[in-house]
Amino acid sequence: MDLEAAEALKGAIALVGYGLAAIGPGIGIGIVAGSAIEAMARQPEAAGIARTTMFLGIAFTEALALIGFVLFFIA
Amino acid sequence: MELILASAECNPAVDIICAPSDVNELFEFREAIFNIGPFPMTRTVILILGIAVIVSAILFFGLRKKSLVPGKFQLIVEELVGFVRNDIAVEIIGEHGAKYAPWLLSLFMFVLVGNIYGIMPFVNFPVTSRMALPVMLAVITWVVFVIAGIKRQGIHYFVGIVWPTSVPMFLRPLVGLIEFFSILILRPLTLAIRLFANLVAGHLMLTLLLVSGWVFVSNIATIGPRAGIGVAWFVMGLGIYVFEIVVIMLQAYIFTLLSAVYVQTSLYPDH
Repeated sequence: MDLEAAEALKGAIALVGYGLAAIGPGIGIGIVAGSAIEAMARQPEAAGIARTTMFLGIAFTEALALIGFVLFFIA
Repeated sequence: MELILASAECNPAVDIICAPSDVNELFEFREAIFNIGPFPMTRTVILILGIAVIVSAILFFGLRKKSLVPGKFQLIVEELVGFVRNDIAVEIIGEHGAKYAPWLLSLFMFVLVGNIYGIMPFVNFPVTSRMALPVMLAVITWVVFVIAGIKRQGIHYFVGIVWPTSVPMFLRPLVGLIEFFSILILRPLTLAIRLFANLVAGHLMLTLLLVSGWVFVSNIATIGPRAGIGVAWFVMGLGIYVFEIVVIMLQAYIFTLLSAVYVQTSLYPDH
């Protein structure tokens, strides 16, 4: 494959890469939020702690997707 | 008014959306507006200085007259300060948390106003979407939590990271290596990238949709019914706008929250 065609394909491959990078965090955030809702429903008095912890969990999980997002622009 | 970037090279009769040829154009303001000594004042620098002015003004005028029955403005500012102090600093860090509240409050207000620039009419540029700013904030957080750890535990802070005594002997080198990378390198990196990437994504979506909408609708005379595409982009753009309001608040909150959590983990490593 010549260089020009490879250059043209680079953006498309980066796009697929970002899509792949979003799968894991997507599932992860779903699990985190689902569990947090369950915890809040079972113990409404602990909703504040559950919410803070949920945001933390989401933030940590989300980092992977965001790194993929940044790599998409760097590529 | 010349609309930025893509609109110049966008042909509404052929294209479906006005994408910029180079994303960097959206975030770079190369030409300095004026110079102060050796420092070129670009739009970004002026906006950053503007944050300092806005935050100082809000806190100064909000808490100048500490009346027992607060007015509306004082109430809002007090709620804000109390939120950072009680719900973030003290709740996460613990009894020593109040000491870190002023730093967390400045961090929160700075990031919040920097993010709000993104949806503020006529400014429309979140300064936190320039990587330099989140990186500097993350470096400050890094310095604070490393110094907090050293002050509390001395050299044992670093020893505790690379040689964790809470795991079995044969796993310690491996876990220590992972901990070293995750605490001292990945933490500030992800902290900066999280803020940066969220704001970049939001700014990109808003510009793409609203500029496309504007280009299509304003060319209604030449392209006829195709201008309907622009209305769809406008509606989507306004939806994203509301979504962005949530995102910018949440990102400022999460940035502050994670900074507090990092300080907490270096103060109390066993929890």
